[in-house]
Amino acid sequence: MTSPTPRVLVPSAAAKGEVIQVKTIISHQMETGLRHNSRGQVIPRKIINRFVCRYGGEVVFSVNLHEAISANPFIEFYLRATDSGRLEFIWEEDGGGVYRLEHELAVA
Amino acid sequence: MSLTRRDVLVAGCAGGTALASTLFWAGNVRAQDEAVQLVERLTGQTPTVSDRLHLVMPAVFPTGYTVPMDLDIESPMTEDDHVRRIRVFAPQNPLLQVVDFNFVPQRSVARVSTRIRLAEPQYVVAVAEMSDGTLLMTKTWVDVATNGCI
Repeated sequence: MTSPTPRVLVPSAAAKGEVIQVKTIISHQMETGLRHNSRGQVIPRKIINRFVCRYGGEVVFSVNLHEAISANPFIEFYLRATDSGRLEFIWEEDGGGVYRLEHELAVA
Repeated sequence: MSLTRRDVLVAGCAGGTALASTLFWAGNVRAQDEAVQLVERLTGQTPTVSDRLHLVMPAVFPTGYTVPMDLDIESPMTEDDHVRRIRVFAPQNPLLQVVDFNFVPQRSVARVSTRIRLAEPQYVVAVAEMSDGTLLMTKTWVDVATNGCI
């Protein structure tokens, strides 16, 4: 399996107070732990269990994901543009894997 | 009074319609109660069914693997009045928790979209935890043709 690749789609500039759309996706199997292999053994659970968005160092939105989220989890959400700053996107995987992306947002 | 064939048929149809609508209504109320009971069991708190929550999902979808889900809650998102958290449940899935979204007043907007797995046709339940501690609830029927949980 290839390593999970995160992607985000977010504007680089916004007006102060404007609501911006953020689309995020990470390529990931999201193995539920409910499946068996050909020898009848359970394939262990391995999912992205948490997603966090920080804006200027502060958590502004977070998600706890469970088994019922589809493979390649897609999350679209909305933030209010308050100040210019860095947006950080963090995905945490079962077993401690962490995937990150950063994006600069200019607010005029 | 003589009973004609027409009278019998008309009465039969009317009775049938009345019976069907009663059954449908009873079924709907039962589903509502079940969803409320489920939320009570999971959170220990009685939710209020509210039309401030909009859970938009396709009524019929060909696959249970990636069912689109849009959630939108009418809230000013101020310090005094905001949505803290939304939890989504699929009661007929082998594991009924789907996802929890956590919001921050004045920074995020109570609107999200994602894609979920559903094992069978069922009501999907969304519960919003408001800043004053109350729970608001809504549910939407989704008919999936294939099991997305295996």
